[in-house]
Amino acid sequence: MSNFLNLLIAGLATGAIYAVVAIGFTLLWQTSQTINFAQGEFVMLPAFFMLAAMNLGLPFMLAVLVGIGLSLLVLGLLFKRVLVDPMLRHGVLPLAIATMALSIALKESVKELYSAEAHPFPSVVPAGNVDVLGVPVSMQSLGVLVIAVLAVVALNLLLTRTSVGHQMQATAQNPTVARIVGIPVERMILYTFLINAGLVALGSLLVTPIYLAKFSTGEILGQAAFIAAIVGGFNQVRGAVAGGLLLGVVDNLAAAYVSAQYRAAVPLFLLIVIILFRPQGLLGRVEERTV
Amino acid sequence: MNDIVLEVRDIVGGYGPMTILNGTSFDVAKGAITTIIGPNGAGKSTAFKAIFGLLKVRSGSIRFLGRDVTNAPPRRLLEAGICYVPQGRNIFPELSVRHNIELGAVAAGRSITDMPRRIEAALDRFPVLRRKANQQASTLSGGEQKQLEIVRGLLLDPKLVLIDEPSIGLSPMMVQETFGILKDLRARGVSILMVEQNARSALEISDYGIVLELGQTRIVDKADRILHDPRIGQLFLGGGLAA
Repeated sequence: MSNFLNLLIAGLATGAIYAVVAIGFTLLWQTSQTINFAQGEFVMLPAFFMLAAMNLGLPFMLAVLVGIGLSLLVLGLLFKRVLVDPMLRHGVLPLAIATMALSIALKESVKELYSAEAHPFPSVVPAGNVDVLGVPVSMQSLGVLVIAVLAVVALNLLLTRTSVGHQMQATAQNPTVARIVGIPVERMILYTFLINAGLVALGSLLVTPIYLAKFSTGEILGQAAFIAAIVGGFNQVRGAVAGGLLLGVVDNLAAAYVSAQYRAAVPLFLLIVIILFRPQGLLGRVEERTV
Repeated sequence: MNDIVLEVRDIVGGYGPMTILNGTSFDVAKGAITTIIGPNGAGKSTAFKAIFGLLKVRSGSIRFLGRDVTNAPPRRLLEAGICYVPQGRNIFPELSVRHNIELGAVAAGRSITDMPRRIEAALDRFPVLRRKANQQASTLSGGEQKQLEIVRGLLLDPKLVLIDEPSIGLSPMMVQETFGILKDLRARGVSILMVEQNARSALEISDYGIVLELGQTRIVDKADRILHDPRIGQLFLGGGLAA
């Protein structure tokens, strides 16, 4: 029982990180038809921004702020202006391929600059265990879960309770009409890119202490976020949350109870089952697109 | 014609290499309903897109209340007092009815302070929308969605309403109701430019009619004279006026 609870909480924590990254992924898709295959590398990179700032002698917390700021600038603003805007004029597919190229470029650049080794990364959550229902549970997992949940709740409040949030939703649901009623559509799309940059920076901060800072960590994370988004429903924020949590839990439990060797196959198995039987995802709606 | 709110002069435009508007010219009279009719592909909806800044005009000019607004972006036209209700369904399906309506005020920014009051007044005028204010807009019927679009467009107190095919997909009763709203607006001094397939019913409530064919203005006249013009039947039955 104690083992199960720990696995469940660890799974939820991993899943919450997947969810945070998957939400950004679906937001970009919804507002601008951007499928960002570099999303995993976007999670890998902020940790290196933070490490670089720490190497310059900044204290951890300040380095975190610098890392978030650089993420907003590079992974939000520059990503949109330099890569997405020009490529999207040629269509969704050229853009998707360009983001694959970006993924490789980012990975190899980090390998060049920082070596292929894994670098340790400080945790924002203190180590140790806390008592939950008489069972010692990892503080790290609980902390990650709480922070990720708070971030998702905050984002949800922004999207559902504020005028800017409504304008962003309107832009995602019907960009032509959004323009007609006077919503600054371009600015709303930029906001989603900045939100995505913020989310990947947060994901980076939460996941790197566990996986360590390594040029290749994005591969697993990007794949997990992609699967979480599809499993939950590509066009829904709550779908990404559900998909992320489900994937994290299934992943952890399967590793413990089924086979650690087949662990990596489990998310893919889940993906295939969902695509076969519920292609719009668990919470997604069927989308009609005019060509 | 009495005072003119909108002057469209020799506009040329289209999609890509295709030219749809071929030197289209017409005026829209103040406080009146003007209906554009014409066969499919005549450029009626395209003219609306050109006026509302959604389609680039290659040459010619559009003036609103004496000011040049050729190729002005939608946001500026909204601020100037034009609103556009396009053809078909133009709602944000997953937002509530109330939030859909509120988004009609976005272009005003903070310059209009009594927006909450205006939204309440609009909901009072359309009890169906008030009853369903907190439901997802996708749950509204076609006619209710059209009402929502009109209400949303009216929040900024436009001087000119461009409305494209308001009757499409609506039951005859809803069509009469929608036309009734347009007549109320005219009574309040709002100018209306409408495109309508349902030419006869539209002309019956209109003051002026414009006949477009192949992107050019063929006839501009009082609506009742167009209604009784034998050439109109001929135009809609094919054959064309130029022949």
